[in-house]
Amino acid sequence: MSVGPYNYSYIFKYIIIGDMGVGKSCLLHQFTEKKFMSDCPHTIGVEFGTRIIEVSGQKIKLQIWDTAGQERFRAVTRSYYRGAAGALMVYDITRRSTYNHLSSWLTDTRNLTNPSTVIFLIGNKCDLNAARDVTYEEAKQFADENGLMFVEASAKSGENVEEAFLETAKKIYQSIQDGRLDLNAAESGVQHKPSQPGGRNTLVNDQTASKDSCSC
Amino acid sequence: MSTSQDLPGIIQAKLSSGEAAITVHEASLMQGWVRASRILALVEHENECALFIFISSRMPPEVFTDLAIERVIPVDADFKCEIDAGEQSVDVYVNISSRKLKLLFEMIPGLKTNNFVSEIMRSMEALSKRRGPPPEFQWLHKYSGSSNRNSADCVASSLDTSDDDAFKASKTEAEKMLDILDSPDIVVPRQSIAQGATPIAARESVIRHQMSMKEDDYTFTQTLRMFIGTWNVNGLPPSSSLTPWLASDLEPPDIYAIGFQELDLSKEAFLFNDTPREEEWRKAVMAGLHPGGKYRQVALVRLVGMMLILLVEEKHVKHVRNAAFETVGTGIMGKMGNKGGVAIRVEIHNTSICFVNSHLAAHVEEYERRNQDYHDICSRLSFSKFAPVKCIKDHDQIYWLGDLNYRITEVEINTVRDLINQNYFPALIQYDQLHRQRSQNNVFEGYHEGAITFKPTYKYDPGTDDWDSSEKNRAPAWCDRVLWRGDGIEQKEYRSHPILKTSDHKPVSALFDSQVRVIDVVKYRKVHEEVMKKLDKLENEFLPQVTVDNTEIIFDIVRYLEPQSQELIIANTGQVPVQFEFIKKLDDSKCCKEWLNIDPPVSFIMPGEKCDVKLEVFVDKKSAFKLNSGVDKLYDILVLHLEGGKDIFITVTGNYERSCFGSSLEALVHVSVPVREIPIGKLVELETTKEAPGGMEPYPIPKEIWFLVDHLYRHGLKKQNLFLLPGLHSELLAIRNWLDNGSSEPLPGSLHSIAEALLLLLDSTSEPIVPFNLQSVCLGASSNYLQCKQIVVQLPEYRKNVFLYLCFFLQELLSHANENGLDAKTLATVFGGIFLRDSPRPSARANSTVDRKKANFVYHFLVNDLSDYVVSKALHLGPSS
Ligand SMILES: Nc1nc2c(ncn2[C@@H]2O[C@H](COP(=O)(O)OP(=O)(O)OP(=O)(O)O)[C@@H](O)[C@H]2O)c(=O)[nH]1
Ligand SMILES: [Mg+2]
Repeated sequence: MSVGPYNYSYIFKYIIIGDMGVGKSCLLHQFTEKKFMSDCPHTIGVEFGTRIIEVSGQKIKLQIWDTAGQERFRAVTRSYYRGAAGALMVYDITRRSTYNHLSSWLTDTRNLTNPSTVIFLIGNKCDLNAARDVTYEEAKQFADENGLMFVEASAKSGENVEEAFLETAKKIYQSIQDGRLDLNAAESGVQHKPSQPGGRNTLVNDQTASKDSCSC
Repeated sequence: MSTSQDLPGIIQAKLSSGEAAITVHEASLMQGWVRASRILALVEHENECALFIFISSRMPPEVFTDLAIERVIPVDADFKCEIDAGEQSVDVYVNISSRKLKLLFEMIPGLKTNNFVSEIMRSMEALSKRRGPPPEFQWLHKYSGSSNRNSADCVASSLDTSDDDAFKASKTEAEKMLDILDSPDIVVPRQSIAQGATPIAARESVIRHQMSMKEDDYTFTQTLRMFIGTWNVNGLPPSSSLTPWLASDLEPPDIYAIGFQELDLSKEAFLFNDTPREEEWRKAVMAGLHPGGKYRQVALVRLVGMMLILLVEEKHVKHVRNAAFETVGTGIMGKMGNKGGVAIRVEIHNTSICFVNSHLAAHVEEYERRNQDYHDICSRLSFSKFAPVKCIKDHDQIYWLGDLNYRITEVEINTVRDLINQNYFPALIQYDQLHRQRSQNNVFEGYHEGAITFKPTYKYDPGTDDWDSSEKNRAPAWCDRVLWRGDGIEQKEYRSHPILKTSDHKPVSALFDSQVRVIDVVKYRKVHEEVMKKLDKLENEFLPQVTVDNTEIIFDIVRYLEPQSQELIIANTGQVPVQFEFIKKLDDSKCCKEWLNIDPPVSFIMPGEKCDVKLEVFVDKKSAFKLNSGVDKLYDILVLHLEGGKDIFITVTGNYERSCFGSSLEALVHVSVPVREIPIGKLVELETTKEAPGGMEPYPIPKEIWFLVDHLYRHGLKKQNLFLLPGLHSELLAIRNWLDNGSSEPLPGSLHSIAEALLLLLDSTSEPIVPFNLQSVCLGASSNYLQCKQIVVQLPEYRKNVFLYLCFFLQELLSHANENGLDAKTLATVFGGIFLRDSPRPSARANSTVDRKKANFVYHFLVNDLSDYVVSKALHLGPSS
């Protein structure tokens, strides 16, 4: 019998960022498990999820890092931006403050990732239209002004969740095809060979980090 | 995986006498998605080989009792070993299969794996070259509990029972395990993982294996009518229509495989393999096909007189792929093509089929040569355009036709003719050489043949239905046969066609209803998607998971030199062993602040188990100043990293109670009240500005130093071993509290504790009395008092004050040397290390020359008259303000 190649040929690293409670973990869970978690605890750290997807006939493994949104962890979570090929920046359409903080998240992303990192803005909880606090139009304008991709999504209904993750991958793949993304760059966030997740010893990017363990 | 030195020895010890482990190798067995450690051994016993699969209770095994035999697979005709090395994969995948059993092993690439696989290949080759009866594997019967089937059954079952039943009846534990793993609600047994099985990444070989295990789920069977025909035409051209042979049935078949032998007996054909007969007979075939179907020729192959044509009904043609043909000559010199075989292989839908047309050695008594020709064809005929090459046996279905030339012997020719005339074939078949050789397992192992209900097809007088009337008067024989091998094949007809009289042979045909597996594209996609999804799910499930009992560790009040600790319980709640490590954050050099100690910082937790991590806060001179001065706070976020998984942040906070310990002399001289009494933040401000609050006149030396020295001056001048014996920790803490909080009570603690408190206080200041940047100058000057004096005179005011004040006091102590037994050298050494404290840079290593120079430096000030120094009145010892 003949079977095509199942191997994934790329690994893309994603990070999900945004204020606490905007639904980052729920989006990841919906994407990897197709389920909604109604009472999801705050993320205290960085969660990890993976899924293999297909873009233009290529199998791609997404390694997704879901970060803690709480302000007090901000300094620590900054260490995780490095080497991300995609950044999903999430706000909650029912809480204006989470939208207002976007510029600060965007600044971090721009400073801590590389220019080819694809930034995708997600207005989450669009199932709660009645409680809407941020209009689609203004968010769309913000996205356009800053050159971000944008959808409103719902981790609850699943609406646009696949799309956000897949569109990001398509854009990254496009960059590879166009040669805009240098696969050999240490921090491109893309690996062209399958490998196991993890393997990090410090938050610093693999290649540069020393493997010193805690000696305190 | 490390191969123990003595692994072969341990395996050998597990075997019975007469059995020798030829080669031994460690490998991972893929059980569903999980890999589990196994040890494989190729074992030989009297020229028979078998692959033994061992489970070991520890890896590597240390004694033979660690081993259990999981399974024994005889290297017989059904045994297959294929290497599946994906271009990108780091590992070598080895498929071992025997009948329906398919095992996938992962091996580490390298010499060992190469050697192991070549040994297996060699044993398979030896089997195919083997002469005489096939191996019986009697010696494996004692392992039959673990063997997938014992060999005697194997032969029996291949003749009369379906393979399926034999297989199911002897399902082993491992197969049951595979079934469990493959069930939709996969629960990977924790234990198996704990025993060293680990999840695997998406590897093409593993997915292919998974897909092949699930073949039933996405394929359905379609029955094709196969017409298999064979005719030895004795070198003659076609003389009549072939319709009576090829189109004698009502229904048109879907596939024709038609073989001829002795197509051309001329020298040209023999020497140059060139003959006009090929086209003549091909045309005759095309003209004689069933009129109810339209056929397309898929392949035609000829070697001298042996020709095989494969024709497929038009509607099936698009499902036929990977057609290939090969020939093998077994004639003179083992290669001429007057005898041998030709074969065509194709894949129809998802089923691979091989058709073989052979003409085996002639002559009545030569049945052993015929057996050998058969074996030669099997071992030499391979379709080389595939990688790995495919042999005849590597097909789901095999149809073997031809003039096999086996005769009817050991019976009177008249008896033969009598039995034929009575149509009493069951009696006659007993004398058929092929029947006998097959029942002795000497040839066509694993093949089936339908019951023969037609007269022998050889030898007739050409043009008639009369038995050979020539001088030779040959006995009739069933030379022309059709056999098959594989699943889902049902013979509908097996007959001869005596009406065709061209040759001295009669043509034979067999009709089969054969089931081919058809891929249901929709289901295939679905199963494939499920496999991929399961892989995703497993990868997420197999991520290390832990819970920690507390992510916010709060220490209430933390005081100088008072260690406190709390436990953090990390429980492995996931499916896989977890390696955790507290990792450093970007830009940090350590995983935590220096006032914190994590024990253990790295460890390993088995699923279901826990690990207690002790977090200890201890503020000593290294960190006290930063905490007092506000440079640092008792606040840290630890990153608990799970190898290959997520990170958890642990926040550690506490309130540090500020103290005179760990302050600077400059700040302390500006504080007139106990340190704890000044408002929070004031000390921080003082440490940064070094200015008195409210313009207070600073003390010449910190009052805390004065309290301690004054106490010793009053009560301790005669104390033996002062500054040499340690104090009590509890008293030190009490002294610290007394100094920091203020008290109307007298200073607590013994003289030794007070003396040590003084040393500790001096040792904890942000900078030593001689600033770090002057240290090397001092060391250089240490042999010259005048130079030393020069340096001291130029010290910052409060440092100079403290320095001289302490020297006055030490001289006073030394003046009581008679009573207290102290000497200048000893005190100079103790205080040298404190006045000239090394900077905390780790590079500065303790060094005895440096220590001696420090002592020398201080010594000058203990033995020389200090009265010419200009000092504040307040520095005079003895009762004062
Ligand atoms: N109605 C609705 N509720 C949602 C949606 N997404 C998340 N929530 C809820 O919002 C809450 C917070 O979701 P989380 O996914 O934990 O938020 P987070 O961004 O991961 O928060 P942190 O981990 O603290 O950074 C949870 O109670 C969810 O049930 C959504 O699309 N619709
Ligand atoms: Mg979260």
